[in-house]
Amino acid sequence: MTDSPDRPGGDAVELGAADSLRLIREQQDRARAALEPDGRALYGAWGVAWLAGYLVLWTSARAHGAPEAWAYWVFAGALAAAVVFTMVHTISRTSGTRGVSARTGAMYGWSWMLGFLTFSVFLGGLARAGADGELMALVSNGGACLVVGLLYLGGAAAFGDRSLFVLGAWILLVAAAATIAGLPMTYLVMALAGGGGFLVMAAVEHLRLLRGRRRADGAVGRG
Amino acid sequence: MADALDPVIHAPARLRVVATLAALDAGDELSFPKLQKLLGMTAGNLSTHLRKLEDAGYVRVTKTHEGRTPATYLALAPQGRRAFEDYTEALTGLLRGAGS
Repeated sequence: MTDSPDRPGGDAVELGAADSLRLIREQQDRARAALEPDGRALYGAWGVAWLAGYLVLWTSARAHGAPEAWAYWVFAGALAAAVVFTMVHTISRTSGTRGVSARTGAMYGWSWMLGFLTFSVFLGGLARAGADGELMALVSNGGACLVVGLLYLGGAAAFGDRSLFVLGAWILLVAAAATIAGLPMTYLVMALAGGGGFLVMAAVEHLRLLRGRRRADGAVGRG
Repeated sequence: MADALDPVIHAPARLRVVATLAALDAGDELSFPKLQKLLGMTAGNLSTHLRKLEDAGYVRVTKTHEGRTPATYLALAPQGRRAFEDYTEALTGLLRGAGS
């Protein structure tokens, strides 16, 4: 395309102002799309994982009092798939970059790892002290939700992302509501309000992207 | 119109290089292979354009090692960011002038 090396008299192709602006915008869109994780994909993956995983737990718990073993496995599988997808997607997008954003992102990633590592040890401690049944279910789901909500609020502050802040606040509300609801309703609250919250965020991200693109088109089109 | 516009950036290939680097936040750098992939240029061609941009003081080239492999990182220098902003402003001004 524009791959010809320069000749002494300047570049072979002379672009008009509108073409140059379009070239800039297309190249920057391409760069951002290739370098920044796609919020729609990430929120979508977590929305589906929570919605499907917690609905399975809820269905099984409603029929048998508590979720059966297979339901826990489906739930764990859905969450593990979302974790793997998030890591692979984020690492492949951000590889080959370094500097302030890469450091911020790495610290944020480690915050999740450390948060959930500590949380699992915390749950182990509670189980050893005799917590079980409904108490353990409420603490592990509401607590995980609390960790997620707080990390989103922190991430919103780090990246200056208002919609992430709203999501974090919403997930904290879900943590409170799910814990108050008690079993088996906890699972339904986590599925619909939690998983649904992620899916709404995916849709909001999508609209935001469309609106940004339309505005840019308008700016060039007016010329 | 080329007289009023920065000739270093006005060449389409270099404009794409600068636009890509300007999409990064200040304080961020991009590796040579990643930049090459984003632009779809050959390594030799990209090097040529980068040298011109570096000579103009627009691009900062950092050579480093990752383990034992040499690696090159690129970022827009403050002067380059300013030049890019001036350039897009000039283009927008031209468009507005043509439109009225």
